[in-house]
Amino acid sequence: MDFYLGLAQVIGVHTLLGLSAWCVLHTGQVSLAQGGFFAIGAYASGMLTTMAGWPLGLALPAAALISAAVALAVGFPALRVKGLMLVVATVAFAEIVRLVFFNLSWRVNTPTGPVGPDGSLGFGGIRYFPSHGWSPAEILVLIWGLVALVMLVLAWLDRSRIGTLWRAVGEDEVAAQSVGINLTAAKVSAFGIGGAIAGLSGSMFSHYATHIEHSNFTILLATFAIAYPILGGLSSLWGTVLAVIFIQGFLIEGLRFLGDWRSLLFGALILLVMLLRPNGIISSPIGRWFSRAGGAPVPTPKEKVHA
Amino acid sequence: MTYDNLIDLSQSVIDGVLFGSIYALIGIGFTLIFGVMNKINLSYAAASVGATYTSLLIVQAAPPALVYVAAALAGGGLGALIYLVCFHFLPPNKPLATLMSTVGMLLLIDEAIVHITAGMPQNYPAMFVGANIDIGPLSLRSDLLFVFALGCAVMVGLTLLLKRTRLGLATRAVAQQSVAARLCGMSITGTNMNTFVIAGFLGGTAGAMAGAAIGVLSPLLTLPLTIKGLVVTVIGGLGSIPGAIVAGLLVGGAENLFQYIRGVSERDIYVMLMLFAFLVFRPGGMFTPPAGRD
Repeated sequence: MDFYLGLAQVIGVHTLLGLSAWCVLHTGQVSLAQGGFFAIGAYASGMLTTMAGWPLGLALPAAALISAAVALAVGFPALRVKGLMLVVATVAFAEIVRLVFFNLSWRVNTPTGPVGPDGSLGFGGIRYFPSHGWSPAEILVLIWGLVALVMLVLAWLDRSRIGTLWRAVGEDEVAAQSVGINLTAAKVSAFGIGGAIAGLSGSMFSHYATHIEHSNFTILLATFAIAYPILGGLSSLWGTVLAVIFIQGFLIEGLRFLGDWRSLLFGALILLVMLLRPNGIISSPIGRWFSRAGGAPVPTPKEKVHA
Repeated sequence: MTYDNLIDLSQSVIDGVLFGSIYALIGIGFTLIFGVMNKINLSYAAASVGATYTSLLIVQAAPPALVYVAAALAGGGLGALIYLVCFHFLPPNKPLATLMSTVGMLLLIDEAIVHITAGMPQNYPAMFVGANIDIGPLSLRSDLLFVFALGCAVMVGLTLLLKRTRLGLATRAVAQQSVAARLCGMSITGTNMNTFVIAGFLGGTAGAMAGAAIGVLSPLLTLPLTIKGLVVTVIGGLGSIPGAIVAGLLVGGAENLFQYIRGVSERDIYVMLMLFAFLVFRPGGMFTPPAGRD
């Protein structure tokens, strides 16, 4: 039972991460920086609860705000370029963040011994949940509560004026600019909101994992973050959830009985999905029904990303 | 800074610049493929390392020089395979789909290497080990010098191929204006495939050079090579081959410079910051490629 609870926690956290990439992809930008914002959220909230003794209720929004602030600060210079240049710029940012945490050593003494990030050894002892008596089921409810909240906000944003602006920029930048849409504002706002969501996701990750280290936050994580919405299809939020369940639930856990061959199949299956469904899983008839049941609008999927 | 420090510093920068020829080759490969397809092939560096592993099959029976040729040939073959599997059957106006399919390929190649070698690093033959050339207090490591010379030879060959042959003419035509090239009766698929094979030759050679310079092959090489190759592409200017060469040597030198000053664990922070500086102050890269692409 604990195994399934743990799996559901992982799926929840990765759904949040995928949703953060969904925001940015919606404006037509491919960003591999989401893993960096995830790491910033993870370290920031972990440091706030263990070293500063904040309650989680305060540390979560604080970590999200810190991640969003960094995203805005990085977004202004980085979003001047697009396509491949943006991919490389965001890769560089994510690597800088990872290496900064790799070199960060800052321990403080608490009644239970020294805690804090310890360079390459990682940051252990983020024991907020165990020391406050949270059961795995309660943690799970918190994670999925956050997922539901974020999805509601994004669904509302998507239907509001902001969502229309984002999609207009994503479909055709030149056309959007010619009708007076502020490209920078649209892209940077999506980047900032994506950063906040990734920060939330990272906070939940560091608290249920209790030990984090730099190798959790490699480019591979960022690649997964953009893989979820692309595999799921950008037209609906449910696509991201489906893709996370497909990758984390089926490809990683469900195929474990294959042993060593599982990791070989992993890449091949991602390749296969893309060959069969270039627009993502949700573009299929079943998927369309699913997304209507979810209430999200179904525009004809038409991505125009220069990458 | 004392005289000895200065010598050590120059020595590590020289080693870095020689090693940078590997980054330059990978960067050229990314640039070539981006030029004709306008898409990123994220599996490129992984395929290069994979090709180098393939060349290990003949390492028992053949002299090292043949192993390098085998790596290049295997790289070409893998390039054609990647074009067929990851690009050919996907709709051309879906760059996100090809981005993801190449990521799938990257993971597949990585895992295939780990699966076949059981994750053990493999020894790779080097040439001219130990016969160093001394210039005053500095010395040029001859195995690195060989790697550098091989890289230069491949780059000269590539330039001749692109400028002097019909194949190169076709590649440049498709890169500049694929619609016009098709109107002139060229086969876009054929040209794309050829470009992938040429880029694969470069990648296989680069992988063999990395193996020879480091002495061992490991699947851990793929991600750093991918990242450094992309960095080189952007610093040099997307689509510019001279830019990729200069940027490759620059990144190699800068990497060792920062490693000497700040240590190995902080080295890449400064390389990435250098990239950011380029993106802010010179987003087009050092060399702007010829205009004309729509």
